[in-house]
Amino acid sequence: MGGKRVFVSGVGGELGTLVAELLEREEWVGALSGIDADPPRHRLPRTTFHRIHPDHHDRIVDTITSFDPHVLVHIGVWEPDARAGPRQAATLTDHAATSILGAAAECPSLEHVVVRSGIEIYGRGRGSLTRPSESAPLQPTSDWGRTVAAMEQTAARVGARVGVSVGAVRLAPVLGPHVPSPLGRLLRMPAVPFSLLADPPFAVIEDRDAARALVAAARMGLAEPVNVVASGAITALQAARRGRRLPIPLVGPEWRIARTISHLSGAPIPDHVAEVLHRGRLADNGQMRSLLGLVAETSTTDVIDRLYRWPNVIHRPARVQVA
Amino acid sequence: MVATLGRVVSLPVRGTAGRAGSAVNRAASGLEASVTRLTSERAGVVDDWGRDPGLVRSMLALARLRWEVTVGGDQHLPRRTGALILVNTRGLSLTPIFSAFAISEAVDRPVRFVGRPDTAPVGAFARRIGGLLDHPDEVAGALAAGELVVAGAEPHDHRGETGVVDHALVGAALAAGVSVFPAATSSSPFSRSARVEIGAASRRTRRRRGPLAEYELAARVRVDIDDLLDEIGEIRTGTPLDWLPLDGLGGA
Repeated sequence: MGGKRVFVSGVGGELGTLVAELLEREEWVGALSGIDADPPRHRLPRTTFHRIHPDHHDRIVDTITSFDPHVLVHIGVWEPDARAGPRQAATLTDHAATSILGAAAECPSLEHVVVRSGIEIYGRGRGSLTRPSESAPLQPTSDWGRTVAAMEQTAARVGARVGVSVGAVRLAPVLGPHVPSPLGRLLRMPAVPFSLLADPPFAVIEDRDAARALVAAARMGLAEPVNVVASGAITALQAARRGRRLPIPLVGPEWRIARTISHLSGAPIPDHVAEVLHRGRLADNGQMRSLLGLVAETSTTDVIDRLYRWPNVIHRPARVQVA
Repeated sequence: MVATLGRVVSLPVRGTAGRAGSAVNRAASGLEASVTRLTSERAGVVDDWGRDPGLVRSMLALARLRWEVTVGGDQHLPRRTGALILVNTRGLSLTPIFSAFAISEAVDRPVRFVGRPDTAPVGAFARRIGGLLDHPDEVAGALAAGELVVAGAEPHDHRGETGVVDHALVGAALAAGVSVFPAATSSSPFSRSARVEIGAASRRTRRRRGPLAEYELAARVRVDIDDLLDEIGEIRTGTPLDWLPLDGLGGA
């Protein structure tokens, strides 16, 4: 499979940059190109970057069709309240998915599509499975869940129409030192709200493990969905204790006040994060090894421990002191 | 408990592709993973299913104050892989819970039980002590992940008889490729003594390719539990109370 052309959408985000970094080291990758509204977080020597806003449909289509990729890795999704408000995030994700997947469908060399999805797609309605596997019904109960469900559906339709395989990597909430995550932001607040009556468990995935999974999906030609979740689980109360934060027990109507205060404090709680705190979020990761040939290197508790160790501001001294 | 024909049809083994194939893959992944020991579980975190080892230890200590449970036949259970253990129950009893605790201590492995509600705070508490939803997919997932799972038959108030065994749960075990074990439980409200006797894995009398496999195995398990109940007899206090129909939690 040498010399494949790989196109990465959303290469400017932390996860996209990590994926591009890993793809640059893959022997089967020939040319590598990517787009995003923001430039990549690190230097990517082998990647050709195109800075295009998701609204610029024609430019996106031209860029992708002229590159004519063999493999498309679509990471250009906006989690609500990560880098954009819920409404804007849904619009941007929809625009990007339509333009990028639509353009990919016009590429004659296209063989495989990998889309970044989320375990929010299963929903957490009453009676929903504790650890849904990939075969569980998709019943999203949050905006983010519905967004990724729609995106998976679009990708599957495109794949069926042009006859290419489509793999969906359903990631647990991604946490990392530079990943804009509403859940991570909330857990790092000095006081962390938790549901007194439920305090359900949830699992996460570290950004590096998520990037490895996306690259493995591209390499192996994943043609089905796979849950990518770190082993173990933790509750909000346990996380707050590990991070020596003040846990705030809440019941019922107090949540509305807590969400408003948290929003004003810079850590908005979108509905999919509120769902994590009320109903939990786990998923069966048993297929990771067989479909992707890897397991998460960092467990959920270790990711949470690291979350509290990551510095707020990283000071890097200048290479050349000029003053 | 959901038991529709549609569910029955969806469960049988379909080769390597599809649901059964993925369940087998998950089971294979579970085989490679090391088995969690009850004595080495870390407190302060929950496991993959939301079970809280610290809380379970506290509950075990409390349960020991009330019951002195003797577990027999635990050598039949697999040491590393998953298994479904079906027990007889009575109305309003907590048989699956106390059986799960007792077997858990006997085999030094976390044991889940089926039948937690999905409403806080009772459901949340039940999840913390190892409860699973009464849903075949949930049970299949746990079994494929190498977990020991205890489920109760339908409550039955006649002595020495077992209620109907949910074929959908048995189908989940078949889909996950694990064995189904019958277990008889006996206890009394006037005594601390209680007993859980696990039998050898129930076997199908015929090989079936379709949903009859789970129906016939469920019926076989029910007969096997009845046989075990006959063998272990009843808890006796040695008083006239034995003459009264006052069997307690899961009493035979």
